[in-house]
This record gives sequence, structure tokens and C-alpha cells, in this order.
Amino acid sequence: MRNILSIIMFCSMTIFAQEAMPAGAELIEKMSDIMTQENSTAIMTQTITTSSGKQRTFEFEMFTANEGEKTLMRYLKPSAARGQAFLMLNNADDIWTYFPRTKRVRKLSSSSKNQKVQGSDFSFEDMGSGDSWKEEYVSTNLGTEKYNDTDCWKLESIGIPEQNPSYPKMAVFMRKSDFYPIKIDYFDDDYYIEKTLFMENIKEIEGVPTAIKMTMKNHSEGTETIMVTISITYHWEPPENFFTERELKK
Amino acid sequence: MIRKTFLLLLPIILFSQSNFFGYYEGEFDQLKFANQTYNYGYNKLRLDFEANPDDVVTIGANINIQKYFDNISWNLLDFLPSEIWQPIFQPDGYPEEMWIMEFPIALLDTLSLDNVYLKAGFKHFDLMVGKQQISLGTGYAWNPTDIFNTKQLLDPTYEQTGVNAVRAEISLKGRTNLDAILSPGKDWNESVKMLQLKTRLGRFDMQGTIGQYTWQRTQFNSTTFMVDEQNNLRTLYGGSVVGELAGAGVWIEGAWNQLENQEDFTEVAIGTDYTFKNSLYIIMEYLRNENGVSSKDNLDINNYLQYFMGETHSLMQDYLFGFLSYPVNDFIQLSLLGFGNLNDNSAALNPQISWNLFQDVDLIIMYNHFLGEDNTEFGVQDWGWRIRLRGYF
Repeated sequence: MRNILSIIMFCSMTIFAQEAMPAGAELIEKMSDIMTQENSTAIMTQTITTSSGKQRTFEFEMFTANEGEKTLMRYLKPSAARGQAFLMLNNADDIWTYFPRTKRVRKLSSSSKNQKVQGSDFSFEDMGSGDSWKEEYVSTNLGTEKYNDTDCWKLESIGIPEQNPSYPKMAVFMRKSDFYPIKIDYFDDDYYIEKTLFMENIKEIEGVPTAIKMTMKNHSEGTETIMVTISITYHWEPPENFFTERELKK
Repeated sequence: MIRKTFLLLLPIILFSQSNFFGYYEGEFDQLKFANQTYNYGYNKLRLDFEANPDDVVTIGANINIQKYFDNISWNLLDFLPSEIWQPIFQPDGYPEEMWIMEFPIALLDTLSLDNVYLKAGFKHFDLMVGKQQISLGTGYAWNPTDIFNTKQLLDPTYEQTGVNAVRAEISLKGRTNLDAILSPGKDWNESVKMLQLKTRLGRFDMQGTIGQYTWQRTQFNSTTFMVDEQNNLRTLYGGSVVGELAGAGVWIEGAWNQLENQEDFTEVAIGTDYTFKNSLYIIMEYLRNENGVSSKDNLDINNYLQYFMGETHSLMQDYLFGFLSYPVNDFIQLSLLGFGNLNDNSAALNPQISWNLFQDVDLIIMYNHFLGEDNTEFGVQDWGWRIRLRGYF
């Protein structure tokens, strides 16, 4: 009888331990579920600060669909960037840009997807890759760690070279409570931390945890970009033919 | 005319959600050629207006006010090799006092309504009526399918002048669009009629174009010394493909032009671009234009006049364009632009600095160095500077 109880207790502990220590793939799946909603539309500001302290502020509207697979960004401010727009499809593998001054649309090659968007510390891929990191990285749960007094899972994601990931490695701190990431380190080819993204002021918007402020610090260049969400809704249905060149030029 | 248009637009401006924006642009140029240095420049104000009387309707207009300073009168003959103009203006056997020494051209101050249009968006198509900028094609420096514009080689991304037209962009199945353009002329033959079918196959954007209009080309009459126009019904069959190979952007844009009173010609631009991980951006483009002249020995004054008037995309047949840019930091960019005429072996090199001085204020400083013999397209000039300040509002 005692043996049977021991076996039951052992099995329970094993199951508990498995629940308490979810696999990296499971965590990435849960994080993706919460981070990439089916559709969304938002107005955001983007403040770039250079190493010398100079600042530029942009305002843009952003539309996403199909869990971030499709993204359309259009700059509203300042005047110099007004009307400039980007259409990113297939998780930013295909990028088109529209120049309102010349009314021209140009397709950017995929070699530019890791380049800065409007000089910010966010790349096209950071903005438009959706949930592609589920396929592009192998993730391992490194265990529990506290970050800013918050209990987090620490996740290490190593890029799969054949999938052509933007970064060879990422380290994610995600809240245990809801799997929402609050800090992501992006590594360069030499495995040094190139950039860090901080997700702050996380609020429930339409039942979805949403970081109102996102700060990307570029450690190699000493620059920083802060994105603040002015308004956002996940209850948006894109009209037919929305993610096309026609809409890009509007 | 502008006053009348604005009076008509006034109710819309007052009673709808309207926006005013635009920019100031000041430019100073110094150019050395024909053993002389010339200074010139301009101050320009572009004032844009946009209103939305309805959710799906946009009314837009812009006025350009441009005032030139310093050298505003030029002698066109200074820009031409002497063997082109001397036989006409200073022919052998004519007494020297009868020689014509100059062909004056002037930079005229402008106050123009550059664009004024109404755009309506429907479920399956957008309709745009009025004077509007129409930029066709995928090439960076040259667009063989663009019959409305000729780009400035030193500044290929500068905005183009508006064209009177009705344009409908119709969404067909999937990612296929049909673009129909009608730009009215004095009669049906003179009007530009154009259809463009755009679609996407795999990772490639494709476009097929057919267009017809009367091509008006400048002809110099060496008897009357007047400039006439030569009309030719032109039918253009063109297309383009844009995509990528091994991470590099690639494109080809071409057109076969069937002419009523002249030999048909083909024009093709082929290019590639690549962005390196350190943000160095490189672009190369080659143009083959059979409408150009194959050898400098065959050039005449009409070839130059037609090129200066923007009636042809190039003076000669084969050109190479290259552009390198590198962001030093978030606000300063270094670039090197170059283009070469492969037929007369002349070239221009144009290093430049673009500096975002303040929010909405850009400064561009560029130097132009021209290479080649004196009787070549670019070699006729020596060097030049350009400083351009632009402030958006």
C-alpha cells in the first residue's frame, strides 16, 4: 500500500514539476498567442534619441492582420515623413515602401529587412515579423528569474540558420503570471547583446495585455527609441484588399 | 487662374477637415564650365492643401512659388559641343558679324498650381481626376514605361510635375490591379491612353503596359531659326518585373515603342540593389535606349533639344547609374551617386551629405565632378556645388 502511495506521490511530483517548468516551445507558443492578436490597428509615437541626446519624434498608424503576418504602417507626423508608408507581407519577407512626394512605390529587397525603420532602433523585421520566431528559433526555458521584482521565466531562443533569423540569439524575460515578455535581449553575430527591448506600462486593452510603452535600447550605437501607444484596438476587421499597393498610396 | 481655383475651393477649405502642409526649399548652385564659374539658385515654397469632404473623398492641391536668383539667363550653346552648333549658328563662309553668338534660355520665376485633383475611393477602385503626379515604372534612375516624366539624373527622387488626367486603379482578383489612365490632349490621338496590369507571381511583382499618344518632339528649323514640333503617333508596349535573387533586389523595366513616322525603338532599364548588414546600401542600374544616339559623331542639335525638353529619357544609348549610401548616424547620411555615358565615355560623380539638422529640416550638400572630353555629354561641364536646405511644415 505504501509502495502504491509512493508511486502516486512520485507521479504527482513529476507532473507538478513538468507544469512548473514548461518547455521553451510551450512558452513561446503562449507568448505568441498573447503578443500576436488576429488583427489590430493602433496609433503610436516613436521618439528616437541619439547618443548625443538629440531627439526626433514620429507618429504613425499601424494595421496588422493574420497574427502579424501582414502589417501596414503609415507616418502621420512630422511633416517631412507625412504619408510615407510601408507594407510588410509574409512576416516582413516582402516590404514595399511608398514615397508620397514622388507618388512612387518601391519594393525593398529582403536584405533590408534588418535595417532601421525611419532611423529608429526598430528594424522592419522587429515591426512586421509577427509570430515568425516560432519557426525561426529553438527556445529553451532556462528557469525562473526575477526581473524588476516580477517573477519571470527566462527563455533562450537560438536562431535556426536555415530559417534566416534576424538575430542569432534572443533572451526573453516573460511574466509567469500571463507569459507577457517584459524584457528581450537581441544578440549580434558575436553573441554580444546588441539591443534590448523593455515592455513597460502593461495594461489590459480589450482583455489583451498590451505594453503601452516599449523602449528599444541599442547598446552598440548608444541610441534609444521609445514607442508609446496612443490608441489601439484588436476589434478591427481589415476591409477586402486592404494590405495592397492601393491602400499603401492612400 | 490660381485665384479662381482657390475661390472655388474656399467652401471646401472652410467647411471640411482640411490640412495645410508643404515645405520651403532654398538652393544655391555653383557651376564651372566653358572657363567660367556661374552662381545661381532659387527659393521655393510648396504649399499643399488636402481636404476630406467625405470619408472616401480627398481633394488635394499644391502651389509652387519659385524665385530664381543670380544667373537666371543662360546661353544654351555653352552646354553643347561646338561641333554641334557652330555649323548652324556660325557657318563657314558667313561673315563674322552675321554669326549668332547665343541661344538664350532663362530660368523663369514660377507661380503654378502644380497639382489639383479629386480622389474618390470605392470598394473595388480608386478614381482620381485632375492635375496629378503620375509616376510610372519600377526603375530607379530611368523608367522606360513612364511617358509623363524624365528624371533628373543628379536627383532621381525629386518630385515630378502634375499631369492633367483621369486615373482609375481597379482591384481585380487577388493581388492583381488594373490601372487605367487617360490624359486628354487636343484630340483623341494626342491624348495619352494607357492601361497597366499589375500582378504578383511568387516573390515577383509584374506589370504589363500598353499606351498610345502623339509624341511631340522639338525640331530646330535651321532656316527660320525657330523651334517647331514634330508629331508622331507612338504606341508603347511595356512591362516590368521586380523581385529578388539571393537577397538582392532585381528589376527590369522595358518598352517597345512603335512609331508612325519613324523606326520603332526599344528602351530597357535593368537594376539591382542590396543593403549590407552595416547599413551600406548599393544600387546599380543600366539603361539601353535605342531612341538615343549611338555615337557622339551622329549627334545633332535636335537630339540635345529633345533631351533638354524631357522628350526622351536619354541623349545617347547606353548608360550606367550607381548609388552608394551609408548612414553615419541616425541623422547624417553619406552618399555617392555616379552615372556614366558608355557611348561617349563621359561621367559624373556626385558625393553628397544629407543631414537632418532639426526635426523637419534637411540640409544636402553635394559636389559634382564631370569627367570626359569637352565634346561629350558630361565632359562639357567641369564641376559644380549644390547646397539645398529644405524645411517641412
